[in-house]
Amino acid sequence: MTPADLFPDLASWVGNLHNVWPAYVIKPQFATWEVAHILSLVILGGASILLNLRLIGVGVTSEPASELHRNLRLWIHVGVIGVVVSGLLIGMANAERLYNSAAFTVKMIALVAGVMLTYGASGPVARADGEVSASAKAWWLAGLAVFLFGLGLLATSKLIAPGVFHVLTAAALLVLFVAQGRVRWIYLAGLILLIAAQWVGTHIVVKQTDFDRLDPTNKAFACVFAAWILGFAAYQLFGARAAENRPLARAIGYVSILVWVLAAAAGRWIAFA
Amino acid sequence: MIRDFLVWLQTELGKGGGDTAQSWSEALLGSPNFWGLLEGTHLLSLMLFAGTIFVVDLRLLGVTFRRTPVSTISERVLPLTVFGFAMVAVTGLALFFAKPLLYYHNIWFRAKLVFIVLALVNISIFHYRVQRNIGEWDGLAKPPASARASAALSLAAWLCVITLGRFIAYDWYECGKPIPRWINAVEDCASSEYGANNLEDVVK
Repeated sequence: MTPADLFPDLASWVGNLHNVWPAYVIKPQFATWEVAHILSLVILGGASILLNLRLIGVGVTSEPASELHRNLRLWIHVGVIGVVVSGLLIGMANAERLYNSAAFTVKMIALVAGVMLTYGASGPVARADGEVSASAKAWWLAGLAVFLFGLGLLATSKLIAPGVFHVLTAAALLVLFVAQGRVRWIYLAGLILLIAAQWVGTHIVVKQTDFDRLDPTNKAFACVFAAWILGFAAYQLFGARAAENRPLARAIGYVSILVWVLAAAAGRWIAFA
Repeated sequence: MIRDFLVWLQTELGKGGGDTAQSWSEALLGSPNFWGLLEGTHLLSLMLFAGTIFVVDLRLLGVTFRRTPVSTISERVLPLTVFGFAMVAVTGLALFFAKPLLYYHNIWFRAKLVFIVLALVNISIFHYRVQRNIGEWDGLAKPPASARASAALSLAAWLCVITLGRFIAYDWYECGKPIPRWINAVEDCASSEYGANNLEDVVK
């Protein structure tokens, strides 16, 4: 689903965007604006990871979540504004390509979900030291729905579907980071076994040139990976260890990190398909 | 000698028999999905690595977390930074392995390596010298000038690394194109398959 599929009447307007100010000013310095976009993502990523890890109950746990929010919110604002402004500018200068890119659609959906979750759920919950208000719950549910829609779109779109493995990898590492003791080793052993099984499945059982069978095999493995990761994430949320924050606050932490991973991954895959 | 090694790495290592056999480097570059995943993971790891080191640097500069001891931020955040760096390094090495000659003759890549070394030297100096008396300034909102200088250098160096890393994708100064003599020299274009084409000679 590309923007061209959604808004076919905009084709001529999009085709002319690169001639409109400020696109023609941006074009010669395109690479510099791309750097600004990446730097904004880096700032947003760092601040968002630290804040949401705290909601999950790891990272800078010696400080209350509200203190982390107080210190990091400026950098979250800088990151979000930087991503949007630099993205608009490089998008205008490269509009036709984005108009026909399914990865761009996923990125925009992830951006909307990211803003909803960051400002509607994660920020207010951190500010309240883990207390989840009714409004935060509503934003969380809405943001989660949009995030899952974007993830589903990425998984089912031709050529960019492998990008799902970015989100799976990030989720796998996040759960690994949070896991403790024996559970961590069991989880890690399972992940290594699954990776080995996928390699055997897609290199020996199914040959790399057999595209008809390779694609469903990879998708099946993606589902198994997701089930393994989600199972342990659920255990972390509701299982043995009594954590400081409630399960919902911690779930908000997990998804508020992954939503920006989805946005960045989809953005990267614009270049590949 | 380095170039000969890279030619072997790119074209010979792992190559089997037969006319269509590929080296491991060529196979990696030709793998549509794995190559994309590798590049994407490099960028995502950068978000973790640079994003968290910026927070530590900003604390050392006295810009953020002014009420939190420096050691607390370091102990809690740096493990994430180190993990992110390991991911960036592994994916970066794999990306280099896929196109070693292109990177070898690229001015941005060479400059990026210089700034990475500079940043790592700065980290060593901070770790072994500046941080030695951290007990005296751990809780200060604004750490001493030496710590702030180290943080500023770190920020600047990683900003340069990210910028130069992005510029590698552009072929402005590719060997074989008419480019200034000094860039031809820096990129060692004379030894490349495209040769050195001096802009000054073309203009004449």
